[in-house]
Amino acid sequence: MLADAIAAERFRLLRDRAAVFWGFCFAPLVGFALSIGGDLFLRFVIKKPIPGLTIGLIDQVLKALSNGASTFGALFLMIGAAAILAGDYRWETWRLLTPRNTRQNLLLAKLIVVGEAVFWSLLLTAILSVFAGVIGAGINGKALTVSMAGRNLFDVIGVLAITWLEAMTLAALAACVGVLSRSTMGVVIACLGFRFVQTILASSLQMMEQNEAPSWKLLALPVFDADLLRAALLAPDQVGAAGGSAGVALVVLLAWVAALTAGAVWLFRRQDLTKE
Amino acid sequence: MSIALEAVGLTKTYGAVRALDDFSIAIPAGGVFGILGPNGAGKSTLFRIALGLVRPTSGSARLFGAAPGDITALRKVGAMIETPRYPPYLTARDTLKMLALESGKADADIGGWLERVSLTHAADRATSGFSVGMKQRLGLAAAFLTKPELVILDEPTSGMDPAGIQEIRALIIDLAKIEGVTVILASHQLDEVKRVCDRVAILSRGKVVAEGGVAELTAGEARLRLTLTSPLAPALAVLGDRGEADGPDAVLADIPRAEAPALIRALVEAGVEIVEARWREVDLEGVYLKSLGQTPTAATAEGAA
Repeated sequence: MLADAIAAERFRLLRDRAAVFWGFCFAPLVGFALSIGGDLFLRFVIKKPIPGLTIGLIDQVLKALSNGASTFGALFLMIGAAAILAGDYRWETWRLLTPRNTRQNLLLAKLIVVGEAVFWSLLLTAILSVFAGVIGAGINGKALTVSMAGRNLFDVIGVLAITWLEAMTLAALAACVGVLSRSTMGVVIACLGFRFVQTILASSLQMMEQNEAPSWKLLALPVFDADLLRAALLAPDQVGAAGGSAGVALVVLLAWVAALTAGAVWLFRRQDLTKE
Repeated sequence: MSIALEAVGLTKTYGAVRALDDFSIAIPAGGVFGILGPNGAGKSTLFRIALGLVRPTSGSARLFGAAPGDITALRKVGAMIETPRYPPYLTARDTLKMLALESGKADADIGGWLERVSLTHAADRATSGFSVGMKQRLGLAAAFLTKPELVILDEPTSGMDPAGIQEIRALIIDLAKIEGVTVILASHQLDEVKRVCDRVAILSRGKVVAEGGVAELTAGEARLRLTLTSPLAPALAVLGDRGEADGPDAVLADIPRAEAPALIRALVEAGVEIVEARWREVDLEGVYLKSLGQTPTAATAEGAA
């Protein structure tokens, strides 16, 4: 049963401290450390605090969450995803699991647990960005407010969901690559490469398509879709002609996740595990 | 009698290598069934196909009538395939807990099984530091953990010390005889198979070359060895095509035990001087080697006539 496989995979991840720390805690902690470091630098090195500056806590959270699946964030998320999705090839432990549950359940459980871990990682990012805002305000004597731009908790939930979906396109790709390459390193390199190429392509295409509705090429890129959805949620009047494509962007993101997941399951069900 | 594992026309090729070649077998539920064969005979490939780890090139395998990988069949099966490997960050207890959860048996008696395989002292140590024997023990606990109806064991005692081997053999016999678990066991250790198994199949180059009860396979294989002080020719003349020379002063007779007194009388009447008559028993190893087309003489054990 799928629920059994999820329970087993969750139990296992919680005991894999290296995967939990490097995959799902390190990037949020680095973000937190950099934020505090910046405030300390401003206070003790530059020694010129900006007077009258106010920090919007929700704005800080939204900014941190928007970058949750950036290339830097994706690198670490994929390290964690690789440990979950391709670890059994590395440790040759499929022989322990495959006789206990169906192939489909085993792989879907892994992907679901990656999704859970990504969610908790983004939540940690959000919480640490609040702490960073509060501590930073204390260091530099800045004023604190809930939001400078009138944002609310629903915006936070929306951005978290969009970034989570963006990260899950990479996780689903990681599942495919993990099955094909049987390698944790292969997963990290392929997913990071995919993320990086998307960023370059999206920037180039956006420059070419200024002030126009996005083409299908641009909409096919999950990175662009996620950016478009976040922009449509937070600043709909600034999105311009692209605003009408937000629905398509959401469908494309979901389609990426569904297609890659189905592909990974299809491949895994047909794969010979001759030494694993 | 229900069939635990059935293979029909099973063929599996890896490139040019044919691991299983139109392989068919029906292993009944109940008792301990041994699978013997040299490296590359196809034992592990058979198990991997049955458990859904590998897909056959052609033919089919069924566990309790269900296709490999079918959840209803998997829930009845425990397995230890080749040398067990574990996620290195898990302890022995956590490994069993994870496997119990995976099988939908969260309430499995983990402590009890660790005790039965003598791993209680190492229950909370990471498996990365385990010796091969300890990994085998944990693999056995994992195979039996969820109280399966069928347990498939691939070389279950390899890497174990003699005391451990005895202990595990006793455990397998207990589980099969007392708790009614069907065990399919592949082993290179013929002595182990002889002691533990009720029935045996011998595999060679992906095919079954012999199958039957251990007693049945070795029955009728004994030969009478007669040591003579007279020339061999008269004895060989009496024996005809049922005898052959075995060195300069002995002959081997392929006869049923019941005919031994009559044969010895006939030889004495023909002037043959017999100083010793012993039954040369052919054990499982002899049958095994003979099935593989190798000479069994080195593997024989002699018994007094």
